[in-house]
Amino acid sequence: MVEVTDVVCSLCGCVCDDIVLEVENNEIVKVKKGACSVGKAKLLGHERIKSPAIRENGELRECSYDEAIKKAAEILYKSRRSLLYGWSSTVCEAHKVGVELTEDLGAVMDNTASVCHGPSVLAINDVGLPSCTLGEVKNRADLIIYWGANPAQAHANHMKRYSYVSKGYWTEEGKKGKKMVVVDVRKTMTAKMADVFVQIKQGKDYQVFSALRAILRGHEDVVPDEVGGVPKEQLLEVANMVKESKFVMTFFGMGVTHTGARHNNIVNAIQFTRAAHLHTKASIMPLRGHYNVAGINQVCTWETGFPFAIDMSRGYAWYNPGEQSATDLLYRGDCDAAMIIASDPGAHFPGESLKHLAKIPVIQIDPYANPTTEFADVVIPAAVSGIEAEGNVYRMDNVPIRLRKILDTDYLPDEEILQRILTEIRAMREKEGE
Amino acid sequence: MQTITLKLKDAAMSGIAQVPVEVDALTPDKLFGKSEAELKAVKVWWGNKQEAAGDLFDVSVAGDAGSGDEVKIVFEGDLTRVKRIGDGMKSGEIEARGDVDMHCGAMMEGGKIVVKGNANCWAGREMRGGELVIEGDAEDNLCAMYRGEDKGMTGGKVMVNGNAGECVGQYMAGGEILIKGNVDRLAGLSMSGGKITIGGDAELFGPDMIGGEIVVKGKVLEMMPSFRPDGTESIEGVEYKKYLGDLAMGEKKAKGTLYAR
Amino acid sequence: MADELLIRNGVVYDPINGVKGEKKDICIRDGKVVDSVTNPKVIDAEGRVVMPGGVDIHSHIAGGKVNAGRIMRPEDERKGVEPKTKVCRAQSGYSVPNTFATGYRYARMGYTFVMEAAMPPLAARHTHEEMVDIPILDNAAMPLIDNNWMTMEYVKSGDTDLLAAYIAWMMKATKGYAVKVVNPGGTEAWGWGKNCNLNDTVPYFDVTPAEIIKGLAEANEKFEMPHSIHVHGNMLGHPGNYEMTKDTYDVVKGIKPYRDRPTMHATHTQFHSYGGTTWGNFESKADAIADYINENDHMSIDLGSVILGDTTTMTADGPMEYSLYQITGRKWTNHDVELETGTGITPFLYSGKVSVHTIQWAIGQELALLVKDPWKVALTTDHPNAGPFIGYPIIISHLMSKKRRDESAEAMHKAIFDRAALPSIDREYDLNEIAIITRGMTAKTLGLHEHGKGHLGVGADADVAIYDMSPEERDAGKIQKAFLNTKYTIKGGQIVVKDGEVVATPPGRTIFVTPECDDKLTDEMLVTLKDKFAKYYSVTFNNYPVQDAYLPNPYEIKAPWRSS
Repeated sequence: MVEVTDVVCSLCGCVCDDIVLEVENNEIVKVKKGACSVGKAKLLGHERIKSPAIRENGELRECSYDEAIKKAAEILYKSRRSLLYGWSSTVCEAHKVGVELTEDLGAVMDNTASVCHGPSVLAINDVGLPSCTLGEVKNRADLIIYWGANPAQAHANHMKRYSYVSKGYWTEEGKKGKKMVVVDVRKTMTAKMADVFVQIKQGKDYQVFSALRAILRGHEDVVPDEVGGVPKEQLLEVANMVKESKFVMTFFGMGVTHTGARHNNIVNAIQFTRAAHLHTKASIMPLRGHYNVAGINQVCTWETGFPFAIDMSRGYAWYNPGEQSATDLLYRGDCDAAMIIASDPGAHFPGESLKHLAKIPVIQIDPYANPTTEFADVVIPAAVSGIEAEGNVYRMDNVPIRLRKILDTDYLPDEEILQRILTEIRAMREKEGE
Repeated sequence: MQTITLKLKDAAMSGIAQVPVEVDALTPDKLFGKSEAELKAVKVWWGNKQEAAGDLFDVSVAGDAGSGDEVKIVFEGDLTRVKRIGDGMKSGEIEARGDVDMHCGAMMEGGKIVVKGNANCWAGREMRGGELVIEGDAEDNLCAMYRGEDKGMTGGKVMVNGNAGECVGQYMAGGEILIKGNVDRLAGLSMSGGKITIGGDAELFGPDMIGGEIVVKGKVLEMMPSFRPDGTESIEGVEYKKYLGDLAMGEKKAKGTLYAR
Repeated sequence: MADELLIRNGVVYDPINGVKGEKKDICIRDGKVVDSVTNPKVIDAEGRVVMPGGVDIHSHIAGGKVNAGRIMRPEDERKGVEPKTKVCRAQSGYSVPNTFATGYRYARMGYTFVMEAAMPPLAARHTHEEMVDIPILDNAAMPLIDNNWMTMEYVKSGDTDLLAAYIAWMMKATKGYAVKVVNPGGTEAWGWGKNCNLNDTVPYFDVTPAEIIKGLAEANEKFEMPHSIHVHGNMLGHPGNYEMTKDTYDVVKGIKPYRDRPTMHATHTQFHSYGGTTWGNFESKADAIADYINENDHMSIDLGSVILGDTTTMTADGPMEYSLYQITGRKWTNHDVELETGTGITPFLYSGKVSVHTIQWAIGQELALLVKDPWKVALTTDHPNAGPFIGYPIIISHLMSKKRRDESAEAMHKAIFDRAALPSIDREYDLNEIAIITRGMTAKTLGLHEHGKGHLGVGADADVAIYDMSPEERDAGKIQKAFLNTKYTIKGGQIVVKDGEVVATPPGRTIFVTPECDDKLTDEMLVTLKDKFAKYYSVTFNNYPVQDAYLPNPYEIKAPWRSS
C-alpha cells in the first residue's frame, strides 16, 4: 500500500490538488482526503472501453489500435469538412496535437465551451473580464454573489476551498465575516445558505443587470419599481451591499449563460462588475464545468488566436461561434465527418444536431463508453488523464496545474492517439503526392 | 450591362452533408472583365478545398460591361448553404433568387444586393456602404460587428421586408436600417451612431447605447429599465415618447435616443 | 561531417567585439561561430549589413496575460491572419500574434532571442507552455517577485538573506531568469482597488515600494545573477511621474553589482518620463531622465517607444490598466494573482492626431537620442504596450534619419513642437549604435553575452542577421524595409529565414537561472513559505514548482552565492 499526496482531481473546473490516495497493486483503493463525492467516484474508476473497435454492419468489432487509428485517419482524410469536437476532459498536450490535426485537415475545431461557457468567452470578446485567481477570493472577498449557479451541488468543493466558507488572510472567520447573495430562478441549495436570495423571473437576467448598473452609476431614479420579477427595493439593497463591501466576487453559471439574452447576459454581468468597481474592488468569474475546458480555450487561443469554434478550412483560423460551433454545424448538416474526443455530445447535444451526427462517420476517443459510443463508427479507448496519464490543465481561474500519473496502463494517452492519426494522414497525403 | 447567372448545381448539396459554398470571390467588381472561361475558372472555397466556379455553378453570361458598376450577378438554385454572397462587394449588383446563407453583404462597400428570400445570420455585417434589400426575414446579427470589434455597420442602407432576429445593428456606428416587421431582443445593442427604424414590435432595444437613434413604430414588448423619459416628439406626424440612455453606461456616455409609442 | 556555413564578405557590426562595419567573413560549425571552416555552404553577403541575431530585453510574448489579450481581442487576431505553408503554421494577430506568428515575425526581423518580460509565478507553467510553442527563438522569462507577500515581509523585517533564499527558490520553482518588479506595492494595493506611490505605505504590509526595490536589489546581488533587477516603477503613465522615476533610480544607487553591469534595469522608460500635472499640460521630460542616465552609471533603460496605431496594452500593473480603461471606456481584463501579482489588459489606439500620444511618441525616441552612451539603452516598444514588436524597424528608421523624424512630426499634432524636444534633436544613430541597442547592449545587460548571445566572436551561438541593405543606405524607407525582413536569419547555424521568408522552424531553447543558496537558509525560508501555502494559496506547495516536462530544451545558468 502506497499513500500518494497532492493528487490533482480531473473532474470539474475546481481542479482540487490536495487529494490523498491509497494505491495498491496498480489500483486506487481509497480516497483518503480532499475529493468531493463526485471526484471520489471518478478516482475510484468505472466501466472502461475495453478495446479499439470499428463498426461493421451496425455492430462494433474489436480491433487493434493500429487498425482503428488507420480507419480514423481514412475518414478524416477523405472529409471535405470535418468537426473535431470535445477536448475539455483531456490535457493541453493533447490539445496541441488537436490544433495541428485541425490545421492539417482544414477542419473545424470546437470544444465543449460552446455548449457551456462559450457565451462567457463571447462576452469577454466584447468587454474583457475583470477577474482574479481563486486564492484572491479566499483571502479577500467579503461579498460573494452566485448568479445562476448552484455550487453546493455542481461544484461541491468550491465554497469550502475558495469562496463563501473558506478562510484566508483577511477572512480568518470564514463565512462569519462574509455576505452572500444568490440570484436564481428557484431556491436552490446554495440559495438557502444566502444572506439575500434574489428570485428572478426566468430569462430576465439581462434587464436586472442593467438596472443594477444604472443604480450603481447613480441613476436609481429611472429604474422602475420592478425589474425581471425583482422589486426595486431589493435591487437597491444588493447595490448597497456591493457599495459597502471591500471586495465583491461574482461567480456565474449555466443558469445565466443559456437563458434569455444568453451571451449578452454575461456582457451585462461584466458591465455590472465594471460599475461595481467604481465603488469597491469587484471581480467576476465563470464557474467552468469540465476540469480542462479552460485549458482548451487557452491552447486554441495561443496557437490559433481564438478560443473555440475555429474553422481552419482556408489554412488560417476563422472564428465565429454560432457558425462554426459544433451544435450549429451539426444542426445545419454542414460537416461530413466528426471526431469526438474527451466529451459526450451524445448526452448533451440537442436532438436535431445528434441526428446529423448519427448520419456521418464518427470517431470517438475516450476512456469511457457513453451515449456517443452507441453510434460511433470507430472507437478508440484512451488512458485516463490525471490517473493514468499526466499533463497540464487550467483551473476555472486559468491557473495551470499538472495532472499526475498515478497508475500504469496499456491504454494510449490521447496525445499519442492523435499524433498517430496525424502521422497516418500525412502518410496518405504523401502517397497521393499532394 | 452584363448579367452573369450562377446557378448552384444540385450535386453540390446532394451529399451526406450540405457543406457550405463560400462565394466571396464572386462579386461584380471581382468578376468584371473576365471571359466566360476565366469566370468558370475562378476558385471558390467549398469546405477545405477550392473548386472552380464552373464545377459548382452552371454559368451563363449575357451582355457586356464597361465597369464593375455594370455587372449584375444573379445567384440561382438552392442558396441556403451559399455563404458570403456579396462579401466585400464594391460595385455592381447582385440578385439572390432564394434564401441565402450567412454573411450576405458582409463588409460591403458599394453596389446593391437584393435577396429574394430570407437571409441567414450576419447579413450586412460591418457594412460600410451600398444597399442591401432583403425581401424576406433576416436572422440574428443583421448589420452587427465581427466578434470583438467595436464597430458594426458604419454606412449604407439596409431594408428588410419581413422580421429580423436578435441584435440588429449591434455596435452600429453609421448608416440606416429599416425593418418593416418585428425584431427580437437587443436591437441597437451598444450602438454609437446611425439609425434603426422598426416597423413592427420590439423588446429590450437600445441597451448600452452611446449614440444614434432607434424608432419603434409597433408595440414595445419590454423597455430597458435604464433609460430616462424625455418628453415626446412627432415623427412623420405621429407622436412618439422619447427616451435617452443607456444610463447603465453612465451619464456622460448615455447619448442614444429611443422613440416609441 | 560537420555542419558548416561561411558568410562571406558581409559588412559586420558586432559591437561587443568592437567590430564596427568591417568587411569580414563569419565561419560557423555545428551551431557556433568558429575561426575557420573547411567545406562550408557559402552565403554571399557582399555589401550587405551583417549583425548578431537580435536580442530583445523586454517583450510580452507568452503567458496568461498575453493570451488573455488574445481572447479579449478576436478583432486583433483577424487582422494578422496568414495561411499555413509547407513550413509554417497558420498565423493570426497583429498586436497579440499567436505563438507561431511571434516566432516567425521576430526571426524575419533578425531576432533570435526574446525575453518574456513578466511571468506571474503561480502561472509560470502557462508562460512556459507558450514559450515552447514559439518557434525559432531562444527565450527566457522574468518572474514577478515584488508584490509577493513573502518579499514584503522579508523587506519589512530586513532579512535580506532570507529574501535572497526566497528569490532563489522562486527562480528555480518558476524556471525564471531574473527578478521582475512591477509597480511594487501598488499591485498588492490593487487587490483592494488602490495604488501606491514610491514612498507610500503598502496597505496592511507596512513597507514602501522604495523599500521593496532596495531590498530586492540587495538580495539580487547576493548571487552572481546575470541580470540586475528589472524594474517597472510606480505610477507608470501618469503625468508628472518623471520625478518619481528619478527617485526610484536613486533607491538603488550605492548598491554594488556583482559584476560590471547596472544595479537596476528600468524598463519602458518612455512611460516614466512624463512632465506636466494633467493630460492637458502633459509634456516630455525625457531630457531630465536622459540627464540622470548620463550622469549615473548604475542604471540601464529600455525605451518603450510608441508605434502609432492600435495595440493591446498589458501589464502586471493592474491599477495602471484600470486608469487607462477609465479613459478609453474600452474593454478591460484584470487578473489578480493571489499573494503575488496582478494583470491588467486594455486595447489602446495611439494617434498622431492626439497631443498626448504625439508627445509619448516623441519621448521614446528622445530617450534614445539624448542618452549619450548607447550601451545604456535598449530598443523596445514594451511589446505590445507602446506598439507591436513588428514596429521596431519604424523606430530604427527614425533614429537613423533626422529627415524621417521631421517628416513624421510634420504630419502629427503640433504639440510635438512645443511640448517635446524631438524636433530640435539632430543626432542620427549609425548602424553600430543600432546594433548596440538591439543586440550588444541587451545581451550584455542580461548577461547573455557570456552564453553565446548578442555577438559573433569565436564560440558564440551562430545566430546571425543579414540585412538586405548597404551600410551606406540613408533612405529611411529602405532601412525600415531591410530591418523588417532579413535577407537571411541564421539561428544556431541553421538558415531559418531566406529572402524574408521563413524556411525552417527549429525549436528554441529556454534559458533559466539557478541561484545557489545555502540549505540552512532555504530551510528557514521554507518554514514561512509552506505556511503561506497551507493557509493562503489555493494550490499545494508540492504542485507549485514548474516540472521539467515544461522545458524540453532547457539551458541552465548557475548563479553562485557570493561569498563576501
